[in-house]
This record gives sequence, C-alpha cells and structure tokens, in this order.
Amino acid sequence: MQTNDLISLMTASHQPVDTGWLRRATGIAALAALAVTIGLVLVTLGARRDLASAWMTLPVIAKALFGAGVAVIALVLFQRSLRPGLKPARLLPMVVIPLLLVAAWALLTLGQAPVAQWSALVFGRYWRACLIAVPLYALCPLVVLLLLARRGAPTNGRLTGACAGLASAGLAAVAYSLHCPDDTAPFLATWYTLAIAIVTSLGALIFPRLIRW
Amino acid sequence: MRRNKPDSVSPSPKKPTALSLVELETQLRPIFLAALAGDAAAYRLFLDMIGTRLRGYLRGMLARAGRSEPSEAEDVLQETLLALHLSRHTYDPASPVTAWAHAIARYKLVDHLRRSGRHAANLPIDEEAFRLAAPDSAASDARLDLERAMQALPERTRALIDGVKIQGTSVAEAANAAGMTETAAKVAIHRGLQAMAKFLSKHGTRPA
Repeated sequence: MQTNDLISLMTASHQPVDTGWLRRATGIAALAALAVTIGLVLVTLGARRDLASAWMTLPVIAKALFGAGVAVIALVLFQRSLRPGLKPARLLPMVVIPLLLVAAWALLTLGQAPVAQWSALVFGRYWRACLIAVPLYALCPLVVLLLLARRGAPTNGRLTGACAGLASAGLAAVAYSLHCPDDTAPFLATWYTLAIAIVTSLGALIFPRLIRW
Repeated sequence: MRRNKPDSVSPSPKKPTALSLVELETQLRPIFLAALAGDAAAYRLFLDMIGTRLRGYLRGMLARAGRSEPSEAEDVLQETLLALHLSRHTYDPASPVTAWAHAIARYKLVDHLRRSGRHAANLPIDEEAFRLAAPDSAASDARLDLERAMQALPERTRALIDGVKIQGTSVAEAANAAGMTETAAKVAIHRGLQAMAKFLSKHGTRPA
C-alpha cells in the first residue's frame, strides 16, 4: 500500500477527537481503584478498632494525606507520561516533597524522644504487616493503571511504570491507613516509604514489557 | 523575538522545504487543532505535511544506522503515521504538535531498530536531528504490504477500504456502495487501520 493511500484511509475514518479523555479516565480510574482498595482493606483486615475516635487525630490524617499526596503527584505524571513529547520526567523530583516532609517530621520526633524509645517509635507493633499489606493492596490500582496505560502512548515505559507504582502505593497507603494501628511519624517515614519504593520498583520493572504499542 | 522575522514565515504550506521547525509548528498547530475538532480536510493536510517531514527525518536516521534502503524508511513512516492516527487522543493541545509527532516517530524508529537487531544507542535523543531534518515528499514503495494485514477482516470491510483508497471516492459514496451507514464505514476503516498497526508491529522485524 502506498503511504498516500494510507493517509486517504486515515482521513476517511477521521472523527472529532477528545484529547481530555486520558485525563478524565485517569482521575476516574484512580478514584474507583481507591474505593475498591478501601473496600478490600475493610473486608479483609477491618478498620482499626478505635477508628471512630482516631480518624480525626493527626497521625491518621497524616498517613492518609501522605498517601494521597504521593498518589496525586504521581497520577499527574503518569497521565502526562502517556502523551508523547511532554517529558514529565523533569517533574519527577516533585514526588520527593511529601517523602521529605514526612522524613523531616520523623527526625524531629526522634530528636525529641529519648534514645531508648527510638526502636519502638520506628518499628511500632506491626511494621511487617505494613510492609506486606501496602504492596499487596497496591496491586489493585496497579492493574487498573496498567490497563489505562495501554490506552495511551507511553514512550518511556519505565517512567510510566514507576509513576503507576508510586500512585498505586499512595492509594494503597490511604486505604491501609484505615487499618494501620501504628501512629508514629518515624513508623510512617520508614515503612510506608519503603512500601512505596517496593511498588514503584515493581511498576518500573514490569510495565515496559506490558505496554509496548 | 518574534518581531525580528515577520516576513520570513512562508505563507504556503505546500512548500515545506523552506520551513524551520518553529515555522512548521506555527503552521501545523492550527491545522491539527482544526483536525481534532473534526475537520477532515485539515487532517489530510496535517498528515501530508507531517508525513513529508517525518520521511526526511526517518531516512536520515536510518542512513545513520547504516540502512539507506528507502523502502525501509517508508515502512517505519507508515508505522509512525498509523501510530499518530491511533494515538490522536494522546496529544495535549497545550503542547507543540511537532514534539508530539517526533516523540512517536522516534519511539517507532527505536522499536523498529530493536526488533531488527540493531541497538539504537547511538541515535540522538534530543530534537536536533528532527529540527534539522529536510522534508522529503518523494514517497517510495514500502516493503511490507499492508493489504496483507487486512486478510483477517471481513470481505465487506476490505471492499470498503479498496473503495476509499481510490482517489476521489468519498467515505459516504464508498459506504453507500458497501451498503453501510457512513459512521459504520468509518468504524470499519478504523478497525482496518488497527489491524494494519498490529500487523506492522508483528512483522516489522522480518528482513526483506
């Protein structure tokens, strides 16, 4: 077939194009995935027993805000990474902002506490649960974002994967914060951050093969 | 800065030879935005202009990778044009359309070289090669015949595609001849183009 014929065919089947679809779809998909993940956490682990009284306290809000902050920044980058020519990698350092804020808060807490308490502050009671649960629950949003990425045109699969992993871990952190009974800043800064790093690496590792177009 | 060169902008889109990348962008953006709003004539003009530019770019890049067969560049060009077409919704209207097209062409070029066993490490990542690419409107034959991609499609769709391909036949006429509505015809052609894109990404590796 001649290139000119191909262009004729493309012109013939041309219809108005909605360039806002990807952005809306990313928002809706993320909200839906968050709702499902929260449902999964509540059904499988249940809410923390004192949620009714604890949800207004700073640590619980901080955990959810931390996850939400990471997720929102990562979702913006994710969506942009599906559009060729935008180079969202330049904005990737923005994701570090919530991580640094939490790390600073954690260091401040440790600085004010006696050294004997440090271990308890960092490890809390259920650090293993956090480290396993957040990446596992993140699989739900990760699959949703994977399907969405296939509808876009990612030219850097690793970046798209890393952003999807970050966003998924952020959403999973929001959901898990409803269950997580450990409320110290050092716990949040250590285990949530580590869990987010795990899912980000997973995304960066598996996405490039799966979203070729 | 702009006031320094008001009269250097070529008014005619038919002579892309004279266009710098900035001028191409200035001309192409309104055309593509009109196309996205549904203007088929503008879309045709956009594809012709960007196709010419991309052909020059791809030939230059493939020559650099030690491949100067024009049919190979035409293969990658067709694959790139299909990708542009099927990814129109990924264009961000606030961004340069030439950067969008270049990123897609580069992705398809690297993919092509990777699949045919060449490492693309020495291909420039920056816009330099694209900025300097001379337009090339001399089409050559592609190695891969896209018609083969359509073998799996229904007979009616193939007849429709053949009808539209022939110059002068409008979609409405071709749809009428095939006994479909115009919308159904557009959807059928769209499926055909998707099949071609899939075919190219599967068979693009095969040496001639």
